[in-house]
Amino acid sequence: MIQKIDTDLCVGCGSCVRRCPLDALRLNEDGKAFIAYPDDCMTCYLCERFCPSGAIYVHPFREELPPVFPNVPRELGGGA
Amino acid sequence: MKINRIATDILIIGTGSAGLWAGYRASELAPEAQITLVDKGPRDWGGLMTMAGGDFEAVLDPDTVDQWIQDFVYYFDGLCDQKLMEEILTRSRDRLADYERFGCEFFRMEDGKRKFVRQRGLDHVKLYPAQLKGRGGELMVKNLVSQLKQRKVQRLGRIMLTEFLQQDGQVCGALGFDAITGESYRFDARVVIAATGMGGWKTSYGKNTPTGETMQMAWEAGAVLQDMEFARVWNMPRLFGWEGQTVLMPLGARFVNRNGESFMERYSPVLGANTDPHYTTIAMAMEIRAGRGPITFDLSRIKQENLILLRPQNGWQKLNYDKLSALGLGLDLFRDSTEWVPQMTVSYGGMQATAWGETAVPGLLAAGTARATEPGVYAGGFALMSTSVLGHMAGEKAAELLQSLPRVTAECDEERHFASTFAPLGREGLTPKEVLTRIQSVVFPYDVSILKNEQALSRALKELVRIREEDVPAMAAADPHYLLKLIETKAVAFVSEMYVRASLERRETRAGHYREDYPTRNENDLAWLCLKRNGSDTDPEFYRVPVPLDEYRFPVTRYYQDNFNFSE
Repeated sequence: MIQKIDTDLCVGCGSCVRRCPLDALRLNEDGKAFIAYPDDCMTCYLCERFCPSGAIYVHPFREELPPVFPNVPRELGGGA
Repeated sequence: MKINRIATDILIIGTGSAGLWAGYRASELAPEAQITLVDKGPRDWGGLMTMAGGDFEAVLDPDTVDQWIQDFVYYFDGLCDQKLMEEILTRSRDRLADYERFGCEFFRMEDGKRKFVRQRGLDHVKLYPAQLKGRGGELMVKNLVSQLKQRKVQRLGRIMLTEFLQQDGQVCGALGFDAITGESYRFDARVVIAATGMGGWKTSYGKNTPTGETMQMAWEAGAVLQDMEFARVWNMPRLFGWEGQTVLMPLGARFVNRNGESFMERYSPVLGANTDPHYTTIAMAMEIRAGRGPITFDLSRIKQENLILLRPQNGWQKLNYDKLSALGLGLDLFRDSTEWVPQMTVSYGGMQATAWGETAVPGLLAAGTARATEPGVYAGGFALMSTSVLGHMAGEKAAELLQSLPRVTAECDEERHFASTFAPLGREGLTPKEVLTRIQSVVFPYDVSILKNEQALSRALKELVRIREEDVPAMAAADPHYLLKLIETKAVAFVSEMYVRASLERRETRAGHYREDYPTRNENDLAWLCLKRNGSDTDPEFYRVPVPLDEYRFPVTRYYQDNFNFSE
């Protein structure tokens, strides 16, 4: 999931805001991108890949979801 | 209230593969027509195709369409619309040729011949990999969009449509709103194509956008739904996303349990690890339930010469791979043993439609995965093939309908509709995310999603009814962004309930539907399970459409499911 946008590096071009399929990013009053809605990021990397100034870091881990095996311990492949 | 009004000849909802192809074909046949594509996501982003690998199924020489149809009759355990499949397969080579003409490249070996990878242990079905692993789907989107730009097709993004306009039963447009500004929109159209993908459960893996709201709109407008009992349960890394296992498995990858056993050989001595993910996830669930998890992925048997097809070389897949390796947590797929889990992702259910996309509702066509096509099993490259062909065909049908459908304008109480749509804005209540998590908690457990049984499904249904009655109406949206998520969540609740109801209704095991309490095929049940409104939105009337074998050219003589024995 998206982890951070470096405000100092952001040039305010809006590329990430335009591209995010989930509308997770917006520009703030200073014209800089920020993570407005983090909870729907699907780790597609579009924002980071097309950022011209390297201001965005997306962590490769996906969101943790409710468990498929609620009664099996995580170390045995269960849990989330 | 200000309403943005757009009049168009053909309204195409969704700009993934099917929608883009529909726009392409319609604009080719009706160059003077006004064609408008609308997506709830960014303009021109390409939907699920953006994240796809770009590997494409097509019937190329020396294969024949008849050979492939017979593969699918077997693979689908008889639940194959042979006429539909013939239409799709016959046109598959043309769409591959179109992609190459647009600039997409498929993998060729040193001798110039096409590389292919057979799928699921089938005799003929195969995919043709993209030249470079990493962003094949993205390039398909880019090339298709550039075709549409040349034809001046209108393309709009960030608009969420919430209700079809109808006059005397005929769909003639839609109402919606801008998910950024909150502005209202009304589209009047002569033909509408729903190309919005399937329902789904927002499980990442690039698939947080298909949620089924257009399916719900179509249902409310009178469309019949089909195949709702089938959901895609995919095997995916526990911690991250990965694209391309449909190529990995045939080339030697396998899953092993905590004892290091490649367990698929035990469940299927014939096919072993190289099989459909639906069957692999059944086995995974059985292994984990029996205490033999975790399940890890083993790539040690992959031949060096095939690594070029597997190791990402560009695009999001390379960035993903590089980042995972750099974390230093043992997550290099090609070097480390990574844990994988079964995960429900999207629904196979969709609108019942002819090959040309005609639904039960005049004026409304369905294309791509918004319509029902396959029964819960999935061969790699199938979606890129079927969505391109079916999108192309729906575009053709829409152009034809412009000549014959009467032009009608819906009389509707717009103020009342928008007041109802915007009612959750600004009030206090549950967040869409809270309700989504509750729905996921109900349908994800393996006895509802994989090894289904009546007791677990009935328990899930009871809770889903409660969620529909209590939680869904209690949702609130702080702004238009969350209003979009709220409508998506309402659709996820709808698709989940129909999934569970249909799963209860099919009391047998066939193709992508496994009932642990009915573990065998019922020969009298070779029929599609269809749902239509029965006076209420919530209590569907089920009916069965028998597979018309007497109208088909090929009998059902063998069953893919017979390759497996899941009795413990």
